[in-house]
Amino acid sequence: MMVRKTLFLVFGSLIFLHGLAASATMTPTDQVRSAVDAVLNTLKLENLDRGAKREKIRSSLQQIFYYRAMSQRTLATNWRKASAAEKERFVNLFSRLLENTYMGKIEAYTDERVEYTGEKIKGKKAIVDTMIVTGSVNIPISYKTVLRDEKWLIYDVVVEEVSLISNYRSSYKQIVKKEGIDGLLSKMEQKIKQQESPKDQETKGQ
Amino acid sequence: MKNPVTFVSIICALFIFSLNVTASDHGLIPKSPSTSQSVTQDENDLFNDLDDEEIEVSDPIEPFNRAMFWFNDKLYFYFLKPVAKGFRYIVPEPGRESLANFFSNIATPIRAINAAFQLKFKDAGTEMGRFGINSTIGIFGFFDPAKDHLKVYKKDEDFGQTLGHYGSGSGFYVVIPFFGSSNVRDGVGLIVDSFLDPTVYIMEKRTDLAGLKLLEAVNAVSLDKDTYEGIVRDELDPYLFVRDAYAQHRAGKIKK
Repeated sequence: MMVRKTLFLVFGSLIFLHGLAASATMTPTDQVRSAVDAVLNTLKLENLDRGAKREKIRSSLQQIFYYRAMSQRTLATNWRKASAAEKERFVNLFSRLLENTYMGKIEAYTDERVEYTGEKIKGKKAIVDTMIVTGSVNIPISYKTVLRDEKWLIYDVVVEEVSLISNYRSSYKQIVKKEGIDGLLSKMEQKIKQQESPKDQETKGQ
Repeated sequence: MKNPVTFVSIICALFIFSLNVTASDHGLIPKSPSTSQSVTQDENDLFNDLDDEEIEVSDPIEPFNRAMFWFNDKLYFYFLKPVAKGFRYIVPEPGRESLANFFSNIATPIRAINAAFQLKFKDAGTEMGRFGINSTIGIFGFFDPAKDHLKVYKKDEDFGQTLGHYGSGSGFYVVIPFFGSSNVRDGVGLIVDSFLDPTVYIMEKRTDLAGLKLLEAVNAVSLDKDTYEGIVRDELDPYLFVRDAYAQHRAGKIKK
């Protein structure tokens, strides 16, 4: 009994260490590619309903998106003014909002080809350049990543020169200015509800 | 290797709607951001990241712009989109892609001349080479063999970018009815570019020209994957989102 347990522990830790080593040698591109592929493969599964697929994609995204850093960069100066509870709430809502936004988009692009066009590493940060190639347009998308605990995590996505986080930052700054952080948080809550209610799947005007 | 990727992929493809801004960068955030214990060193580094310039949009006529944005929104949902849907139904996708190629090819002078204005002679040459190949082998520009087979991509240039290249600021944000986002600089650019646009000379009657431009817009919307719908669905304030995306998008293009 004892022997088995010991063996189990030894093998278990070997596998664990091996996993660590493997991810340490993964390049930023590999890391992004594997996350993207995981999402794509989930979308292609036939025996899952839409809700289950969404949950699976959500968990893939949680492993690669560095939500806390994204939240902090988005709130910028307002982050410092926010209380710990507000920060917590913001991180939760913002993660959810990003996931919903991502999933709303990705379904339309499932059949397009993605090329990995380059990678720049500078210390603990790296940019992975990709290009979505469709029949009539090419859409350049870059992922900004940072090395944390041996893993490259995405902290910003740049589409056609537009940084998603900078964009959220300026919009949210205006909203906080007018309505305060509470106003922003309740707007986010409303939006999430709206995104997740099946009725609003087809948006018509404002 | 098919894939989707991307987040908002399209966010930006917003061209249809978007338009403009004023950029004044300032480094984000002073040092030593916070005392919260939950902030790790990594996060502090990211927080102080100066590679991430902030663009401040000047928008003194916001009430007017919001009204025009509302107008364009209705125009999109009640006119452009339904027409594009019908068009999508009538013309199969490869046909619409070819039409998009044709419009793009015919606008070559705008890109080539503006590249030359900015002394980017290599890009101007690329544009002319693409025009030569695509107009002949690509059958009047309906196909894009330069891209598909030679991997020679389009260089997007316009007079707004030329002005920006020589240091012009963007001026304030303007939402133009029918056109969408712009700013003072890019609005001037649009006027100058209209003199470089061959369709303006080919189509002698204004109504013919308007019809052609409408066809181009309808075709573009028919190929677009609901970019604007996504913005309306996902953003807290679509107006601000489009305004800021336009500013960043233009600033990025000028830098290139």
